[in-house]
Amino acid sequence: MGVRHLYVHLPFCASRCGYCAFVVEVDALDRRDDYLDALLVEFAAERDRIGALDTVYLGGGTPTLMRPHRLAQLMEAIRPHLAGDAEVTIEANPETVDLDAFLALRNAGITRVSLGAQSFQPHLLDALDRRATPTQVRAAFHAARTAGFESVSIDLLFAVPGQDLAMLHADIDEAIALGADHISWYELEVKPGSTLARQGAIVDQDFSEEAYRLVVERLEDAGYRWYETANFARIGHECRHSLAYWEAADYVGVGIGAVSTMEATRWRNAPDLAGYIARAGGGETPRRTTEFLDADTRRRERWMLGLRLGRPFRMDEAGPPDHPDALEHLAGLGLISYDAEELRLSRDGRFVQNAILCELMEYSA
Amino acid sequence: MDQSHIRNFCIIAHIDHGKSTLADRILQLTNSISDREMRSQVLDSMDLERERGITIKAQAVRVFYTASDDETYQLNLIDTPGHVDFSYEVSRSLAACEGAILVVDASQGIEAQTLANTYLAIEADLEVVPVLNKIDLPAADPDLHARAIADLIGDKADNVLRISAKTGQGIQDVLEAVVAQVPPPHGDPDAPPRALIFDSVYDQYRGVVTFVRVVDGAFRKGDKLFAMQTGLTAEAEEIGVMTPSMVPTGQLSAGESGYLITGIKQLGDLRVGDTLTVASNRASEALPGYQEVKPMVFCGLFPMDADDYPDLREALEKLSLNDGSLQWEPETSQALGFGFRCGFLGLLHMDIVRERLEREYDLELLATTPNVAYRVISTTGEEILVKSPAELPNPSNIESNFEPFVRCSVLVPSEYVGSIMELCQERRGTFVTMEPIENRQQIVYDLPLAEIVMDFYDQLKSRTKGYASLDYDIVGDKESPLVKLDILLAGDQVDALSMIVHRDLAFARGKGIVDRLQKTIPRQLFEVPIQAAIGSKVIARETVKARRKDVLAKCYGGDISRKRKLLERQKEGKKRMKQVGRVEVPQEAFLSVLSIGEDKHSGK
Repeated sequence: MGVRHLYVHLPFCASRCGYCAFVVEVDALDRRDDYLDALLVEFAAERDRIGALDTVYLGGGTPTLMRPHRLAQLMEAIRPHLAGDAEVTIEANPETVDLDAFLALRNAGITRVSLGAQSFQPHLLDALDRRATPTQVRAAFHAARTAGFESVSIDLLFAVPGQDLAMLHADIDEAIALGADHISWYELEVKPGSTLARQGAIVDQDFSEEAYRLVVERLEDAGYRWYETANFARIGHECRHSLAYWEAADYVGVGIGAVSTMEATRWRNAPDLAGYIARAGGGETPRRTTEFLDADTRRRERWMLGLRLGRPFRMDEAGPPDHPDALEHLAGLGLISYDAEELRLSRDGRFVQNAILCELMEYSA
Repeated sequence: MDQSHIRNFCIIAHIDHGKSTLADRILQLTNSISDREMRSQVLDSMDLERERGITIKAQAVRVFYTASDDETYQLNLIDTPGHVDFSYEVSRSLAACEGAILVVDASQGIEAQTLANTYLAIEADLEVVPVLNKIDLPAADPDLHARAIADLIGDKADNVLRISAKTGQGIQDVLEAVVAQVPPPHGDPDAPPRALIFDSVYDQYRGVVTFVRVVDGAFRKGDKLFAMQTGLTAEAEEIGVMTPSMVPTGQLSAGESGYLITGIKQLGDLRVGDTLTVASNRASEALPGYQEVKPMVFCGLFPMDADDYPDLREALEKLSLNDGSLQWEPETSQALGFGFRCGFLGLLHMDIVRERLEREYDLELLATTPNVAYRVISTTGEEILVKSPAELPNPSNIESNFEPFVRCSVLVPSEYVGSIMELCQERRGTFVTMEPIENRQQIVYDLPLAEIVMDFYDQLKSRTKGYASLDYDIVGDKESPLVKLDILLAGDQVDALSMIVHRDLAFARGKGIVDRLQKTIPRQLFEVPIQAAIGSKVIARETVKARRKDVLAKCYGGDISRKRKLLERQKEGKKRMKQVGRVEVPQEAFLSVLSIGEDKHSGK
């Protein structure tokens, strides 16, 4: 039947954001054509694994820096594999797109846009080293709509250094006013290796708790469903690609740093632009690390991913927890309810989903 | 060798003043070890001791030195420990000597242990050879410190030798002074043999090795030994000296120091302080012994993983072979499960034992709040030794409580006198005396040992920018109004956190502990009230709020393994917590209870 989900990594960025520790390439824009060629080589090599693609996700980096003509060329290769109502998402940075660009992306077969807003407060955007201004974020959103995108998502962050509740309220107001179909609202992670980490940014635990609850409460009031830990959608606008990850489906990823999982095997391409291009030129597969996932690891991953979702978790399908005794304890605390088939996190439980997971499951290296 | 050519001496010094380096130089100068064998601080054989720069076990090393009079002398160097916890061991080393080299750092001058050990040496009638070490340091002030040392021992400043053990300068002068000033032993070579046991160690291959100083007569290989105190007999299978490696000599004569190996397997069977004689030519009177060492500080040691209990027992058994002062017995805690209540000479001793257990035996341990031993007289007149708060009887059954007191001597620059007095007052101290020594003040207070066991030493250092030095001696016990302070987590009493405190301080201590626990215990899935109580009366309360948010951020582009690894790391952190009832308590929480002075002081 083949894999139904494809991820394509487009790593180029104009600059690195203060919170970023992803695989990105700054100052390498002159390698974009070579990279596209290499991507097409890898994709062609993976063709046998791929079935009718239900979802495609073009992530980055800043995918829109590939510019419409290269993206069109990429989509040309992918298009023959798309299922009838495939979801094809592209991440876009507001300052890199305009109406013409969105029209071109639509023509290329892209159906969904995920716009990296992060905040609407100029000084918070500064703190994050984001290049777009709030005006550019709004303009980009409207341009996507005008170009005919019916599903537009925006990415936002809470617990940004300097953020207070009033600013957070203002961001929520803006997101709702824009009329986004889908909102990803993550807590800012100060990752080792990022500029923020070097600056010694500390997230205040109490503020972060309050902020998270406020985001959930207000977006739900505005008609969004809290369908995943950090994701909110109007009915029918859930990100199907992300759902595939959370449901532990198989997927193939192409490009540098991209990860693929097929049944018991997971591989990851080396995050090395020059090496990737060179090997593709010689017709070789990219340098990869491979990980074998045994049955217990898979089961634990299903729990790790599945508990993030708002819908009940099917224990009967995922396999039993490692510490079944904890079920009763957690139920006693009002954090979960369960029967033989399903486990359901209570509203309070969803806010401490990770702690619940650690009570129920064993994770050791 | 005839006794007139024998010198038995030790080196006494404050920690880090260069005792071990001087000992190494003496070995080098007398060609006892080649340069190739020369490892810094040969006498400190354990890694941990080397790291901390302290010596726990006394050992005796024999060297030969040809002095300027062209005569060759047998020098027996008996090493001594340098820390307050081990002053007991110092005194037994002194008993095997006729002289002591007093080493003082020429940049730092006299410290509290210099005083304490010097007084011990003088009391033991030892000839003191004063030495200023580290004269090569830019900060050295030999003139000032030489005068102070001369005052201390009643000598002339000119007689204080000036050396650098590091560069080797002046070492020969030290040996000359030892030969000239330290009197030779004056035992009776023809009397029935008598030897003082001043140390014994357990060696994996040799069994129990006993260090002795022969006073009268001689001991030969094959002699049937008789221990005068315990009545035990054993054959001397090997007799020899340390050079510093073990060299059998077949005989030890009056005035000499060396080692004995018998068939005895248990370290405790040949007691330090006992007098050995020979069964066939028994001496009539034992040598003056030592008072038996008693542990002063107790704490519970529990394995983090309950399955390690048998390993912990085995490790303690092995450690005890070489450390007669370590005591332990099984203890069961409601909160922590099965473990051992251990008795130590002091806090440093406790730290060392714990570290060795963790490092050398690869155990993860949880140590409970240390406490001292209390003497309780019950209403029925019975005397009970209370070594853990759990053993304290119900208040209605207590007639009176006694707690151990120490006489504590602190040496500080004058500008810190005020803060030291303040600290001692806060800790229920009674002022005894104060006198100037060099450019500093020696302040003497009587304090409850329990107060020293808390964070006294840390406070002393932090309030004097590290300039204060401390020494103390047990002076007996005094009646005190004591109460048992219990800590409750989520409504359940945690026996491992209970402590015995003075009634007047209970409220302040209770509040302090509860505050600190509130800061150390991470948020749980439910609210955790922390209470301090005396009996059923709650005297302080704090709450650890329930965790209201715990989600892992995004897993980007299908990088699920990365997220799983985050969980693995988190789970590792969880394993370092101890489940106490329903609450996960980090190890630091048990020790944070100790630091009472910190908040108050930093808050000023």
